Amino acid sequence: MTELFSFKTIEEAEAKLDSLGGYKDPAEVVPLKGAGAHEVAVGPVHAGVIEPGHFRFQCMGEDVYNLQIFLGYQHRGVEEAMVNAGGNIARQTALAETCAGDTSAAAAIAFAELMERAFPLRFQAPDNEALRLRNILLELERIANHTGDLGALAGDVAFLQTASFCGRIRGEYLNMTALLCGNRFGRNAIVPGGVRTGDAADKYGEIKTWIARVKPELDRALKLMFHEHSVCDRFDGTGRVPRDVAESIGLVGVARRASVEFNGDVMARALVRRIEINEAHTKIAKLIGGEAPASETPRFDGLKPDGFTVVVSTSAAWRGPLVHAALFSPDAKMVRYKIVDPSAHNWPGLAWALRGEQISNFPICNKSFNLSYCGTDR
Amino acid sequence: MLKAFIARIKEGCRTGAFPPAEPNLPPDFRGRPEIDEATSAEEVEEMKSVCPVDGALGFSEGKAFIDMGRCIFCGRCAAKCTKVRFTREYRLGVFKRDDLVVRAGEGGYVPPVQTDAEALRLKGSLQLREVSAGGCAACELDANVLGTPAWDMARFGIRFAASPRHADTVYLTGPVSRNMRSALDKTYAAMPEPKFLIAAGACAISGGLYERGEYPAEPALYIPGCPPHPATTLEALLRFVGDM
Ligand code: SF4
Ligand code: SF4
Repeated sequence: MTELFSFKTIEEAEAKLDSLGGYKDPAEVVPLKGAGAHEVAVGPVHAGVIEPGHFRFQCMGEDVYNLQIFLGYQHRGVEEAMVNAGGNIARQTALAETCAGDTSAAAAIAFAELMERAFPLRFQAPDNEALRLRNILLELERIANHTGDLGALAGDVAFLQTASFCGRIRGEYLNMTALLCGNRFGRNAIVPGGVRTGDAADKYGEIKTWIARVKPELDRALKLMFHEHSVCDRFDGTGRVPRDVAESIGLVGVARRASVEFNGDVMARALVRRIEINEAHTKIAKLIGGEAPASETPRFDGLKPDGFTVVVSTSAAWRGPLVHAALFSPDAKMVRYKIVDPSAHNWPGLAWALRGEQISNFPICNKSFNLSYCGTDR
Repeated sequence: MLKAFIARIKEGCRTGAFPPAEPNLPPDFRGRPEIDEATSAEEVEEMKSVCPVDGALGFSEGKAFIDMGRCIFCGRCAAKCTKVRFTREYRLGVFKRDDLVVRAGEGGYVPPVQTDAEALRLKGSLQLREVSAGGCAACELDANVLGTPAWDMARFGIRFAASPRHADTVYLTGPVSRNMRSALDKTYAAMPEPKFLIAAGACAISGGLYERGEYPAEPALYIPGCPPHPATTLEALLRFVGDM
């Protein structure tokens, strides 16, 4: 989905971009004082094979009183690189795709739609086949990530069956993506104006059979976990973010849905992922079955030569809405780019979830959100 | 609990036959490129105009080249000009940076063989400490899958260690962002000797789409890709310790 805004001055346009938000580190470490108060500092390098970030658990006795999250270790200047890449569309596409690797398809869609909206004469409207492939890649990305995270949640409570089943099944969905475009993360396929892969449609039959084999296995793996009392006992009530808090701190995506439709604990976020896995399968079945995907990008209202234009493009990434926005000068040059990963809104939710928990519950709280460091840091 | 056991037995063994069998690569897999001897400077310029990465393609000493240390294997050059093709050769790991450069007319590729005695000693027990430093995390994700039952690299004694004190190598991903420099240096320094640095992915090797920060040491193994396919990574690690 894209929106186009025209402004007379660059200041107004900049203000629009700024208003899209982003994550801000706590300004400083606020020390916790008193009897029984202590701090545990973790990171930037964590024990697992994951991204860097610095966490400060401020505890009162066993309980976490407050968690401060410091990011920025992954900052490499994606937005500046986008602007510097100028008219090199291939480079800009690759930059968008590698802002957060697990959200490559959603990012490529956001960038492509942004450019299609801004330059309707330069880029043709993607045809139905292109939109179909884009949407299938987006849904496969959603399934792969949710499956991986549910498996990781199982692993964190030592329910190793579902952990290893999901680890393998996630790989099956990545391989389906690779079948469609040659890359397990759905890269190098989606470009402004359409898609690069010509013959994806020939492979949909194979994808259908593949899903028919793997989806029941995935259902079984998840049922096993959700029906296990020891797992439910660990998920239920842990890391709860109540609805009013979720709304007031502005959570988005999976985390918001878990707090609005359910009670906002680890179990709720796990259930939402399971629901979204099913919804994604339904969408893929419809797309492969021939349903024409709707194109929402309005045509021919591109940049205006007498002012500054901001195009805001939002795609339905698996964590929540992913926002790409660009500011164009009157001579149609991109002068600023902004990426707001859904994670940027949800880090305070993770911090909130930890309040009153023991540090040992951090892993499952963290996995239930699984936020992107690189997407936030850009 | 009984249900869990039954499910476990039904699942059976899911570990792929690779290695020693050939890996299952997608039909459109892009591995080591091949460039025709007669590729002209003009053709290279034409391909450069669609290449997302500076310096991935070039022309020097009368020959076209692709630097796999920069290339993200997007295939745009090959779509533009038939003189470049991506083969299904997935054994891309090398021990010297220069070996990542594929020159026009080169044929008969044989992956380099490990001769470093210190590295060969690690066969059967290679402990990696992953440091993620400014990349997009896809490199980490596709390294992580090597631990799942589908790849099970632990059967070769290769593991990711939680602490650098227990590790032989830093497995570096990402272009070494400024804010990760000191953490990377400290992690490397915390490993006991003998120790190695492995650079995995275009970002870690050359910066890829970004500029690369400084290494704590010269890498002893380069694994190209964006991200490298798990088969590429596993084969490279095994060859690194002389287990392939
Ligand atoms: S495959 Fe490599 S060399 Fe070819 S266009 Fe893509 S990045 Fe450039
Ligand atoms: S090499 Fe590619 S996949 Fe790996 S971290 Fe860099 S951008 Fe991501």
